[in-house]
Amino acid sequence: MNNLPEPDVLVKHYELTADAWEKAIGTLPGSHTVYAPVKRWGSLDYEPITTENIPAIVYNEPKPVSPLKLFLLPVKENVVLEPDVNKPLVVIGTPSCDLWALDLLDRFYLNSDFIDPYYKLRREKMILIGTACHSLLEHCHCTSYGVNPWPEKNHDILLSQSNGKFFLEVLTEKGEKLLETLKTGLEIPAASNGLPEELIQKRRSVKSQIDQANKKLPNYQETTSAVKNAGEEVWEKYAETCVSCGACATICPTCTCFLLIDRPGFEKVKQMDACQYPGFQRVAGGEDPHRKHHIRFSNRYFCKYVFRPERYDALACTGCGRCIEACIGKINKNEIFMEITR
Amino acid sequence: MSANNNIYKPFKARLEKVIEESPLIKTLVMVPETEFSFKTGEFIELTLDGIGEAPFTPSSSPFVKDRFEVTIMKAGYVTGLMHELPVGEVLGVRGPFGRGYPVEEFFGKEVLILGGGCGLAPIRSLLYTLIEYKDKIKKVILAYGSKSPQDCIYKPLFSYLNSIDNFEAHRTVDETTDDWDESVGVATVLLDKVKVDIPNAIAVVCGPPVMMKYGTFKLLDMGFPEKDIYLSMEKNMSCGLGKCGHCMMGEYFVCKDGPVFTYDEIKDLPDIW
Repeated sequence: MNNLPEPDVLVKHYELTADAWEKAIGTLPGSHTVYAPVKRWGSLDYEPITTENIPAIVYNEPKPVSPLKLFLLPVKENVVLEPDVNKPLVVIGTPSCDLWALDLLDRFYLNSDFIDPYYKLRREKMILIGTACHSLLEHCHCTSYGVNPWPEKNHDILLSQSNGKFFLEVLTEKGEKLLETLKTGLEIPAASNGLPEELIQKRRSVKSQIDQANKKLPNYQETTSAVKNAGEEVWEKYAETCVSCGACATICPTCTCFLLIDRPGFEKVKQMDACQYPGFQRVAGGEDPHRKHHIRFSNRYFCKYVFRPERYDALACTGCGRCIEACIGKINKNEIFMEITR
Repeated sequence: MSANNNIYKPFKARLEKVIEESPLIKTLVMVPETEFSFKTGEFIELTLDGIGEAPFTPSSSPFVKDRFEVTIMKAGYVTGLMHELPVGEVLGVRGPFGRGYPVEEFFGKEVLILGGGCGLAPIRSLLYTLIEYKDKIKKVILAYGSKSPQDCIYKPLFSYLNSIDNFEAHRTVDETTDDWDESVGVATVLLDKVKVDIPNAIAVVCGPPVMMKYGTFKLLDMGFPEKDIYLSMEKNMSCGLGKCGHCMMGEYFVCKDGPVFTYDEIKDLPDIW
């Protein structure tokens, strides 16, 4: 699946006032399921949007707590029954790190060997309104993975907010179609110029701040060989405070492992799983290639930086930093990379 | 989306007969409710309704289309319950999945098969297949080890194989009783007794991890090239689609890229045994 348009062919720019934009979104609930980032108790996460909470939507702030994958790969889903997907899903405010993660998810779940029918249906119904990050969080390090902090791929519309004005760049047919709905009873004039210079400067400034904050990190190209060559003692050392809670995998925008649970009537429930849980690879009889904690711990690094990139030619880490924020053992993967590339 | 194209949804199969192979191993003979065929070495997921599913490589001939057999060792919760099933019970089946034995590549060669314990289950299916192609195979040697004479499964199979031209079957046990007049020792001891034209042979290994490991090392010592040793890697295959991650072995998903691998494909991966 490639949502990238030919440059300068499909891209159309529009400019709205804040009031007009909120009215435009107000046309969606009912015909569409809409999610957007809303701040609660200081943390930003996607919430369902109704006509009531449109003013609470937060724009251009760095990543929501939940990764975008949760809209495509629910925590739990009965995969024998018909999927419960009807209306198109509009996700507003998807950050670049999550949009890049779709490369891997799409190649993994929509490859020619096997197309997951549930993923495919959700993906087709998904319309993504990406936003650039106008600030950064402590563990943001997308740029060290070649990911810029503004949407570059896999989104349908790019939305930017500046000085009370909203700018839309419509990039795909899905985006065009959504724009038609947004225009219901509303004038959305095409912008004569492209993005205001002020917004371009803001993007550049955030990129350089992320670069600066992570200047000691190795380049993405070095991570594969670094993981392959890391001594066992490194994994032993960092696994010491790992409690195998699986938070890193759950919160990761590219982790895909799951468990099939049986239900009466030969039904199967597909539930999110994590290679960090003890017994993940255990077989009947008790053999377990990942019995040793540090081997299980290292598996996630091998998967992210060696196996997946080599096999799917896509980033399996987009530098969102959620795994660092989520770790209750205070394990910082960036510290591991600094150590193994020293 | 209909049930027919939903790969997560099992089709049904009725348990026709249970064969007690050893105190810990039973063979379930099943009649599928829909058309079902597999290639030797591919595996299925067998579901106990509402309880769980487990992967098995059918132990029957892929040339038999109206029924299939799986040989199950009582090793955990689901396999324990499968041992208690009454005839007539309906089970769920998904598959077949994975990459089986590339039988055509064995044509014109000698085939040395090393099996241990319940690992003889996929091998029996392979043997039935090789019997179908016996004119195209130079020689088939089975070397099989079990813990004791009573743990030895498929007891009639050995005399049957020895009655076929160019087929020979050898057995060994770890521990013996007085009335055992065959080999004693681990499965690899049989490899010293067989005559193989190694440059024109391939080897197949299936059994418990420790046997797979030392069996492979022994075959390498004998001079088998790494690419000519076929291993049936049985890991925690769950989805069968190369997605859920439970059977990951290095970059490979055993359920999709395997379960049959040549040793040279996997030798550099960590924790393969």
